Amino acid sequence: MIHDYFMTIAQGIPTSLLLTVVALAIAFVLAVGLTFLLSMQNKLLKSAVNIYLTLFTGTPLLVQFFLIYYGPGQFQWVVNSPFWSLLSNAWFCAMLTLALNSAAYSAQLFHGAVKAIAKGQWESCAALGLSRWQTLKILIPYALKRALPSYSNEIILVFKGTSLASTITILDIMGYARQLYGTEYDALTIYGIAGVIYLLITGIATLLLRQLERRVLAFERLEVEKN
Amino acid sequence: MDDEIISMFVDYLPLMYTATLMTVGLAVCSLLLGLILAVLFVVLETSKWTCVRRPTAVIVTLLRGLPEILVVFLIYFGAPEVVELITGRYVEFGPFGCGVVALSIIFAAYASQSLRGAIQAIALGQWESGAALGLSRSYTFVHIIMPQVWRHALPGLSNQWLVLLKDTALVSLIGVQDLMRQAELINTNTHQPFTWYGFAALIYLAVTLVSQVIIRQLERRFTRFERGTE
Repeated sequence: MIHDYFMTIAQGIPTSLLLTVVALAIAFVLAVGLTFLLSMQNKLLKSAVNIYLTLFTGTPLLVQFFLIYYGPGQFQWVVNSPFWSLLSNAWFCAMLTLALNSAAYSAQLFHGAVKAIAKGQWESCAALGLSRWQTLKILIPYALKRALPSYSNEIILVFKGTSLASTITILDIMGYARQLYGTEYDALTIYGIAGVIYLLITGIATLLLRQLERRVLAFERLEVEKN
Repeated sequence: MDDEIISMFVDYLPLMYTATLMTVGLAVCSLLLGLILAVLFVVLETSKWTCVRRPTAVIVTLLRGLPEILVVFLIYFGAPEVVELITGRYVEFGPFGCGVVALSIIFAAYASQSLRGAIQAIALGQWESGAALGLSRSYTFVHIIMPQVWRHALPGLSNQWLVLLKDTALVSLIGVQDLMRQAELINTNTHQPFTWYGFAALIYLAVTLVSQVIIRQLERRFTRFERGTE
């Protein structure tokens, strides 16, 4: 019985993983873009980005899922527009929600890392006569590396967040578990199995990310050793 | 048309207001229970006996790897099963109680980390001075260490409070009449998902912003002696 449950719920693993990967990829690109905007000295752009960050970090992910999936249907002009085939697709909406949400949190992380860069680095760039844009092109990749430990946290959070996609009809791990519960009423076993699957994946991801951190941040350990 | 919109809002505003109170109440109850649980986790995690320390550390780590919604479902649907297994009787638990328990467990799993870090940040000399004055370990902990701990733990805890506030939306899925659920119910009547989910989102945002202001006040109060005598 447990084996049957496991096989059913495991069908959702590819969906959960694919959602995580696609959403994270888009969110990362968006977040880097937003970090550049935040680090430029343009007040108007900055406040626009800040409003976006406040909106997406200040409201529950579940509300964002519902707003993006059910919201556009209220407006006839959206339904008639060519985008409707995308916006009425649950998978696309789930991906979009996760991407927009994660982009906001990641941009905050990255911006924090940029602000934490030592003043001397900015001054060296200025001394070399680099423009603000050129400076950022050098310093942001460096900041991103420094932000990796907190970013791995964000990756795990996005994976856990995919479980909410089950509320908008996506059959991911959680989706299959909920469907199975609807027919079998065996909460402890079914949600227990789903929990084990989530834990296995988050566990493996954590281990892999730790390896990556060690590699990417190798240059910092060198500095420490030299001292 | 405009009158229609206004009368619609007037009809549903009281419902949204009660739902907001429900959400805030839920969050505050979970915070209180969660803080107690967090202290308990820390005490167990720093216990003298390895057989207590290890399992607690494992459980807390596992809790942090589970999706929040799964914890909510496990407790709401799983608790009656556990009770039935033990006592043989079927007892149903209310969604509010289960929601509070689930949210406070999730909160405690994260908050215990900030709390433990804060306790470890207190210099050992504080414990030793307590001992030198002949105070017992528990008295030292409650009256000397804890007041200092809040100062270090506040940034982490307040962050966790903001996460908790947003996680309360999850218990709408087990039927608690909170903001999210109320927005859903109104939407089935009015068929205006964007308006109502958007409205709910704005209320969540407002609650978050208000708590941020309060947190900043608290932080000022807790660190007042750090700024020296002005």
